[in-house]
Amino acid sequence: MTTTSERLHRSNDAVEDPILEVKNASVTFDDGETYVLDDVTFSIERNEILGVVGESGSGKSMLASALLDAIPAPGHLSGEVLYHPDQHTTVDILEFTDDELMEYRWADVSMVFQGAMSSFNPTMKVGAHFQDTLKAHNESVPDGMEFAREILSDLYLDPERVLDSYPHELSGGMQQRALIALSLLLEPEVLVMDEPTAALDLLMQRSILLLLEDIKEKYDVTMVFITHDLPLVASLADRMAVMYAFELIEAGPRDRIIGESAHPYTRALLNSTPNIDAPLEEMQPIPGKSPAPVNVPTGCSYADRCPLATETCTRDAPSFDQVEDEHTVACHHWQQAREEIALSFAGGDEAGRSTGGERR
Amino acid sequence: MGHYYLRRTARMFVTVFLVASLSFGLIRLLPGGPFSLLRANLLRQGVPASEVDARIANLQNIRPDAPLWEQYADYMLAAGQGDFGTSIALGEPVSRIIAQAVPWTVFIVLVSTVLIFVFGILLGAIQAYWEGSRFDQLVSGVSVTLMSVPFYVVAVLALFVFAYQFGWFPTAGTVGVGVETGVNMAFFTSALHHAALPIFSYTITGIGGQALAMRGNSIQVLGNDYVEVARLRGLSDSRIATRYVARNAILPLYTGFLLLLGFRLGGTVILEQIFSYPGLGYYMWSALESNDYPLMMGTFLVITVALVIGVYIADLTYGMIDPRISRGESDAY
Repeated sequence: MTTTSERLHRSNDAVEDPILEVKNASVTFDDGETYVLDDVTFSIERNEILGVVGESGSGKSMLASALLDAIPAPGHLSGEVLYHPDQHTTVDILEFTDDELMEYRWADVSMVFQGAMSSFNPTMKVGAHFQDTLKAHNESVPDGMEFAREILSDLYLDPERVLDSYPHELSGGMQQRALIALSLLLEPEVLVMDEPTAALDLLMQRSILLLLEDIKEKYDVTMVFITHDLPLVASLADRMAVMYAFELIEAGPRDRIIGESAHPYTRALLNSTPNIDAPLEEMQPIPGKSPAPVNVPTGCSYADRCPLATETCTRDAPSFDQVEDEHTVACHHWQQAREEIALSFAGGDEAGRSTGGERR
Repeated sequence: MGHYYLRRTARMFVTVFLVASLSFGLIRLLPGGPFSLLRANLLRQGVPASEVDARIANLQNIRPDAPLWEQYADYMLAAGQGDFGTSIALGEPVSRIIAQAVPWTVFIVLVSTVLIFVFGILLGAIQAYWEGSRFDQLVSGVSVTLMSVPFYVVAVLALFVFAYQFGWFPTAGTVGVGVETGVNMAFFTSALHHAALPIFSYTITGIGGQALAMRGNSIQVLGNDYVEVARLRGLSDSRIATRYVARNAILPLYTGFLLLLGFRLGGTVILEQIFSYPGLGYYMWSALESNDYPLMMGTFLVITVALVIGVYIADLTYGMIDPRISRGESDAY
């Protein structure tokens, strides 16, 4: 790969008290032939909600798994994943022994998987999953179950009923909430959520998001919310990061990513998002398709589809530029992008607002 | 829930009743059935007609000269009380012959099926964990080969090699001559010695199929999210292997296990013939050869009822192992 380690380092300038730092993380399959996560560097601020967006197959789930060093078997994770239990301690989880890793997972950083329905063993009661987890971590089962009941109540579930049910006896939304409770059982510092609402209807998605905000406050947990659903995460996240073709391409505070995004892909993504305010004609699909994990182009991976692409783009991979304090982007032409690609919805940046004005 | 069990039980009785009626009908309604043949033969031999009727009535608990519905009622009533008449060839009550034969057949079928199940599951599970390894490939190859060989071929070969050539095993019977039946060591070893080859031929040809089925199920279960989540939750490998993988992989095999028992019971007709092992199948075969209809009907009925009960037990107990089935809200089963 042509990417260099220094190019991405600046994407985390803004974070003062990171709880997790990912540095040059790459996930390769086939002995380094196939990259499904390509030199990603970013940080997660303590107690923030970080939204990671990207289309299907852009490496989002790999990023999530990397935070727990849980890449599925033939895959290989390289780079550094630094965990700061407090401000002055730093551990690299990739250096952990198996025992340390087992202790770290779920107790320090836990994860809510895509599709709660398949995250529970169908032949075991939900409560047994909680007990198994407590036993595996040598925690007191009665105390732990007491805590579990509290979380379940906070998620508006009837604890006794849910714990005594088999997974199939619960609705999708109930299973999802039970899974969130299970992930909070050992009071983790960080909760990684990989498409936690993908299989739910819109109302249920909305109510789970509202619950997550309360949960975050009460249990003092840092959240990484990974999704393909940009509007969904936009309502929740403090900061956002955009992934494209296994790379991170833009990161910054939520309002800046939505309102003043700098990467042509982010802008195109926003323009292609269904929006009740924008008429159908204004919705613009992004032409072409994202590259496969093999033979990723040498230059910018978005160059093929980018209207602003020049020779530089196809030749050199862009490094991270600072747009503003906390807003970084990996694009050669981000200034141009903001001028030439208008955001088609109200509340967009300067250009967006002016087109919005003309529309009305 | 209770409603389901009630209905399921009622259906079992209906099935058994139909099978019994069918076995009566098959024998009775065929033109020139066995008893008219027997009756004609006896009459030709100069036996007085009244005595002939009495003998036939004694054989099958029916009066040949009575109307058909009366014969049917008599037969069903007797069968319901466990009285299947008297064997023509052996001159003994059919029920007594069956009572003697059934334990041996059950012994062979049960032991071999349990062996198949246990070894098949172990092999399949190990294969799944080491998917694609040398071991996996080897066992798969052997499994497919053994699956393709009918058990009677193995039985004949085993009998020829181990019993006739090497003389390691007896060639016939259930226990050695002069061995006292009872709870003693000599009886058990003798019984095992006699049953070893039939059990072996039954087992060796069945393990492959179970192993492949278990392998496939386990690989599928291993790919499930809940296994990965369990791993992340820090559960031990042994806990995951037993409670999360094995249990979910074995479930679909369970019904097959009880059905296998039933079908193996039918297979004893050939197996016990090869080893001259006087069990249920052996008597059924000899009944066929000697036109011993009461015995034939009796064994036929017992084998069928055993199969029906096997399926019945599978249906009732499946809900206890798989919580997803327990409610029985649907009509289908």
